[in-house]
Amino acid sequence: MSWDQVLELIKSILLTQTGIPNLDIGQVIMILVSFFFLYLAVAKEYEPLLLVPIGFGIFLVNFPLVPLMGFTEHGNPELIQAFYKYGIQWEIIPCLIFLGLGAMTDFGPLIANPKTLIIGAGAQLGVFITYCGTLFFGFTLKEAASVGIIGGADGPTTIYLTAMLAPQLLGANALAAYSYMAMVPLIQPPIMRLMTTPEQRRIKMRQLRPVSAREKLLFPLIASIFIILLIPAVAPLMGMFMFGNFMRECGVVKRLSDTAQNAMMNIVTILLGLSVGATMQADVFLSWKPMLIFGFGLLDFVICTFGGILTVHIMNKFLKEKMNPLIGSAGVSAVPMAARVSQVEGQKADPDNWLIMHAMGPNLAGVIGSASAAGMFIAMFK
Amino acid sequence: MNRLTHEIFKSAIRTWLILAWMLVILVPRTTVYAAFGEDLEKPKPEFTREGNVITAKLIPRAKSTSVSIHFQVSGGRLVSVEGMDFQEAARPGVDNKDFKSELFAIKIDGVPPDGVAKVSVTSAFFSSSTEYWVFNRNLKESWMNADAKNISLPDMIQKLVVSVKDGGPFDSDGAVDGRITFTGGPKDSFWGYALGTLFIRFFGIFLVLSILMIGMILSGKVFQMLDKKKAKREIEIQVQPEVPVPDIQPAESIEPELAAAVGAALHLHFSGRRSGADFQFITPAISPWVRQGRERIMNARSIPTNRFNRLRNR
Repeated sequence: MSWDQVLELIKSILLTQTGIPNLDIGQVIMILVSFFFLYLAVAKEYEPLLLVPIGFGIFLVNFPLVPLMGFTEHGNPELIQAFYKYGIQWEIIPCLIFLGLGAMTDFGPLIANPKTLIIGAGAQLGVFITYCGTLFFGFTLKEAASVGIIGGADGPTTIYLTAMLAPQLLGANALAAYSYMAMVPLIQPPIMRLMTTPEQRRIKMRQLRPVSAREKLLFPLIASIFIILLIPAVAPLMGMFMFGNFMRECGVVKRLSDTAQNAMMNIVTILLGLSVGATMQADVFLSWKPMLIFGFGLLDFVICTFGGILTVHIMNKFLKEKMNPLIGSAGVSAVPMAARVSQVEGQKADPDNWLIMHAMGPNLAGVIGSASAAGMFIAMFK
Repeated sequence: MNRLTHEIFKSAIRTWLILAWMLVILVPRTTVYAAFGEDLEKPKPEFTREGNVITAKLIPRAKSTSVSIHFQVSGGRLVSVEGMDFQEAARPGVDNKDFKSELFAIKIDGVPPDGVAKVSVTSAFFSSSTEYWVFNRNLKESWMNADAKNISLPDMIQKLVVSVKDGGPFDSDGAVDGRITFTGGPKDSFWGYALGTLFIRFFGIFLVLSILMIGMILSGKVFQMLDKKKAKREIEIQVQPEVPVPDIQPAESIEPELAAAVGAALHLHFSGRRSGADFQFITPAISPWVRQGRERIMNARSIPTNRFNRLRNR
């Protein structure tokens, strides 16, 4: 073998089998973006359970020639592509996350005060306004719906709907949803203060009635009957959510409930985060659309918060016992962060005002409301 | 809201609305489309023929499941139906988003020259507001409403019937030759659909959650009632029936000493029982004298079994 041949071989190896010559500027930018999200997760602790796997997913797939998100010559999916295909494309992981969430949720505050369900509905205002707004900017109907649902502040619902309607926007939508969910304590308080007077913020609500174990046990069955009969398209999400809750409340399958809450939830969160992050390859992500999605996502959150508080104001016109409008902002889901924000703002107005349990009602109603909105969109595009 | 916050809120909303409108007005729509690439939804119909009926099967825009559109002709022979990309018929003022499917080029022959053929387009996908628009590139105004008759059939099926004259404005070949080329497609207002569905779906969520709320309030009342009943029953069980007081006649003949003795005995008996229940093995501080005494007693008792003593005594 002559020197020329050796050099040619080395050149061929360098060009075709190593990443360095194939690295482009877009990939470098995306790797920097991944560092940003990892920084937010690790240093600022913004939704670290999701932003760490998402950030690392972005980091991994933006290296050139990596066999992670493609298919082999025989058509088999590569590692993260397999997670994505069987977990997200087949719509399994979001439903499993709902199962785990159901197993973690205590519906007591919502059962004790069912009126708060209306707040959960009012807080979906932003979902529909953003849906319309995005249409003006050239998004298709399906894309607009998937962007709109970001305001529901429910990560699994956003992922479920986007994977179904506009998979090309999955990365941007999921990232926007989780980022804004983490930033709820920054986004909501100014709107809450703007929309309420100090007197309204000081309204004390009557202590919630105790809810019996039997009521809690039957709630998932009753709620499933009403919701699934009215919106059958939401059955995968709501069915799993209520099943998880039933396992928790029945008390005879503690092992299953524990697994759903802990081991299973952790496993699917890792797979979900990596898969979502891995969809953000430079050639897909670096365009104006994700920027617009982030802009609309923020607007969506603002309008949803506005919608929730406005709903409480309207309800107070008809109610004898007034509700503190601060609990309206918790209707955007983001459990339990949004409820905590209501509590903090309430205590700023009156240190003796304990709103957290009252805010948990609209917070849980927000989960049901955003899943219902997703079901509405799915039915619309069926 | 107090006046100041109200004013701030109003001005914030106004500013946001102005900004939003400026964005909508100033950003040319064509630029936006160009920036975001091509429309991803391109319905591609597949055609099948059964006798005189040609059926197009396609997944329309903004839908995830396929629909069927049936074409039939009376007053002529349906030769073929082909799909046509909207780009070929794109003209200013006509938005392809209003057409949920591709356009259809329908070829008909066997029409009497200068005669009229009736084209029927039937689908469960159409609504009562669906129109049929015709495209003729040879005309100055290429797009026109065909003024189709929209007939409702059972099972929520709508039938659009268009009369097409050989050589008329709807005939793209323009010649009076007994053959018609009829190009167009069913049209629904995109914005009408988007905004209409917005209100319906949003209030739909209110409706669903309101029904759930009513269900929960009612079931809550039932559960509260049941719990109250249960609690009441438990209280009733806990309350002991009054023990009948035995009718004991006082013994007048008993002597005071005897009564005192009986009383003392009873007192000792019951206090003994009480103390017996709470008896604890608390060993008082043992004096050396007591310990020595106990050791002697124990040694004396254990002589037969104490191996050490046995060995010593051997």
